[in-house]
Amino acid sequence: MRAINTHSMLVILSVLGLCCVATPAGARNIDLATVPPRESVQLTIYNSEDITLVRETRSLSLKAGINRIQYSWANTLIDPTSVEIRPLEKEDQIEVLDTTFPGDKPQHLIWNIESKIEGQVRFQVTYFTSGISWSADYVLTANPEETEMSFDGYVQVYNNSGENYENAEVRLVVGVINLVEKIRDLARRGIIAPPHGREEEKGLKRRVMLGAVEAAALRGERRPPEIIKEGLSEYFIYTIEGRQTVPHKWSKRLVSFTARKVKFDILYRVRPHQYGSRPVRFFMLVNDKEHELGTTPLPDGLVRTFRDNGRDGLSFLGQQKVSYIPIKEDIELNVGTDDEVVWERKAMGVERSDFAFDHTPPRVVGWDERSSVKEELRNYKGKPVRVELRHVIPGDVELEAEGAKLHDYHTVEFTYDVPARGQFAWHYEYTQHFGTKARQDRIWLK
Amino acid sequence: MHKGTRFIAALVACAAIICLTGARSATARIKLVTLPVRERVEIQLDNANATLVEEERIVTLLEGTNKIDFSWSNTAIDKGTIRFRVVDMPLRKGTNKDHTSLLRPDGQVEMIRVINVAYPPGENALLWEVFAEKPFAARVRISYLISNLTRSFNYRAVAEHDESTLTLREYVRLGNFSGEEFGDSGIWAGFGEYFHREIGMNEAKELLIWKFLNVPIEKTYTFDWWTGQHVPEQREQRYVEMRYVLHNDEEHQMGEFPLQFGKVRIFQKDGRGGEAFIGEDWGRFTPIDDEMKLYLGLARDVVVKRKVTQNRRRKVHGNLYHQEITLKYTIENFKSDPVTLDINEDMNRLRDSFCEHKDRTAQWEIVPKGTSIGKKQIERKDARTAIFHVPLEAAPEGEAEVEPVEVTVHMFLRNEW
Repeated sequence: MRAINTHSMLVILSVLGLCCVATPAGARNIDLATVPPRESVQLTIYNSEDITLVRETRSLSLKAGINRIQYSWANTLIDPTSVEIRPLEKEDQIEVLDTTFPGDKPQHLIWNIESKIEGQVRFQVTYFTSGISWSADYVLTANPEETEMSFDGYVQVYNNSGENYENAEVRLVVGVINLVEKIRDLARRGIIAPPHGREEEKGLKRRVMLGAVEAAALRGERRPPEIIKEGLSEYFIYTIEGRQTVPHKWSKRLVSFTARKVKFDILYRVRPHQYGSRPVRFFMLVNDKEHELGTTPLPDGLVRTFRDNGRDGLSFLGQQKVSYIPIKEDIELNVGTDDEVVWERKAMGVERSDFAFDHTPPRVVGWDERSSVKEELRNYKGKPVRVELRHVIPGDVELEAEGAKLHDYHTVEFTYDVPARGQFAWHYEYTQHFGTKARQDRIWLK
Repeated sequence: MHKGTRFIAALVACAAIICLTGARSATARIKLVTLPVRERVEIQLDNANATLVEEERIVTLLEGTNKIDFSWSNTAIDKGTIRFRVVDMPLRKGTNKDHTSLLRPDGQVEMIRVINVAYPPGENALLWEVFAEKPFAARVRISYLISNLTRSFNYRAVAEHDESTLTLREYVRLGNFSGEEFGDSGIWAGFGEYFHREIGMNEAKELLIWKFLNVPIEKTYTFDWWTGQHVPEQREQRYVEMRYVLHNDEEHQMGEFPLQFGKVRIFQKDGRGGEAFIGEDWGRFTPIDDEMKLYLGLARDVVVKRKVTQNRRRKVHGNLYHQEITLKYTIENFKSDPVTLDINEDMNRLRDSFCEHKDRTAQWEIVPKGTSIGKKQIERKDARTAIFHVPLEAAPEGEAEVEPVEVTVHMFLRNEW
């Protein structure tokens, strides 16, 4: 049996010869086995944890009575506590009696299956493995006018599980699940685990399997695969149409969706406490139908943004990680600073007044401080820009400025439209109360 | 294949894969290939942090699924950024048979689509599967971010002999240590001229992006007690610093685009057909309508002494007081030309020296009584900086001595404690 292991398939299911049936597992070193091949395999890969649910189907030729089925998974990252087998047909006549993990053979188990019938039966083997993962990424290309973009989503599957999965149906799960033990640890440790651990794994698996959607039919070869997206409870499952082969150590990147002529707005943000002294440009859109999106939540991933530079080439604007974006949620893409939009701020002076003193001897313990600020925005672009400014002013503050509004208790926000090749300047003052004069911690807009 | 593809980017259109693509072993891929040459290369240097290379090749695609192999070595291509784009994408009208996700908003369908990209282990390579609805000789743009192909900017300023104007040349310097050589390539720095050049391996190339002619020079002389260089044995003096100020606006024959950070080497025509190097400085990033100030060195012919002639504390209540200070500057211009001296006074540091260091901004006020210069000569630059503009006459000719100019400034530092 051991010699059957191949480089391409490390997970082996074999039906042991009759001579072994009555003997205890591990008592013999010479076995006779038949090796039924995998007929299909389905991978359900989670991105929040290092866990993949593998479901494979194989046909076993059973005899009436007890059948010994051996299953081994050398040099893989399969969690032995999760391996299960069940018949896909004639379930009332077939019973899995027990599972034995021989002490002298790692990554190896034997099922005793009692059958009332004789003949070929399709079985499903399921297990968790670690080492397979997926991630999403997005490539955006704005038109030269920066009014519309193409929005391409991709998923990339990485296989470091030790096993080659050929012609697998691949399903990708977006959502955060709870695991009490890492699959990789379970794979290394083997079957010896706290009894309750296995029960909880089973419970988890049942939850996942309840949500399983039926495999998409294998379509003709003349058309690229679609990625079908379905919601499920708090999870979202992407099923990649057709079959994919992802050998061990390879990764594969597939088109998840494409959207064209996606409209977007541009907003400049000035937040010295967050972005430094230069205005930062954002592409603003929404994950909805109006923006040619909205068919699926967007999983966490890297967004690379380009712009058609209008000279038959591309400009790379930048890249950033985005967190999961639900349908109808705003998408804000930071594409960096812009040399053509300039912001300047000058503190012009302070004036202190209304001093409070304690008594013996009199010492300053509180006062008001009035600050005067000038700000200016200059736009050298050929189109108007909208700029949102936020300033954090700590303490007990009274602020008087046209157009100011509060973002939060200590952040004031201004939004201005600056015409093409124009500028806009404004002036404002605020009073901070210090020492015993400070009775609040907030900005009050007068 | 183009000579430039020796080290990088073997692009292989596997029009007919004859066996075993990839699944078993990365080294065992056997294939029949066509080798599309680079038709065009564009190097985009407009992003300060990342250089984008775009190369164009004509790839013959068969109807159905095509495999295209792209590999490189000895060069640092960011694998995740490699893009495959069809230039002039062939389109057809969408039909009921098309899956809705293929339909563009204009109802058309792209006839060439990338199905997937496979990354073999341990190789600098990837394998595209590209689906074509019918055979095409597709013009394909492959783009990627590459490391060690860098840009920087530098300037050469040549002032006229009388320092009235200068000519400013801006150069982009391209350093190619990417491990790859690029044949005739388009080069774009994001502004200025667009170039076509060959770029060899480990080669640096400097290209003139723009030439600004007849740029008026503003030459400044600045005295700053707090940051100026000390004069040996002269405790009341600091050296006066000279700068050229370039105004990046149309009025000053500039304002075409923001000036990038870079070294500026400054020369002056010597009046005899030659040029003298008079210094260099780092030019900061300068938006349009802003100023680039270039430090030239010390002006030894303008001498300034500073004294504090009055320091008086006026109690307000308890420990609250106003500090009354008078500063006296004695200035001598030994130059044969009239100049304007700018005296910078940092009020926070002045306050700290007389009222102990404080974290708060000084509240200061210059009062006319006891101040010898007019309001127009006093500039409140910002909350902590006052600038006094003092015009100085040229030194008299002949034996006559230079008459010192005395400037007094009387001020209050209010509400200190």
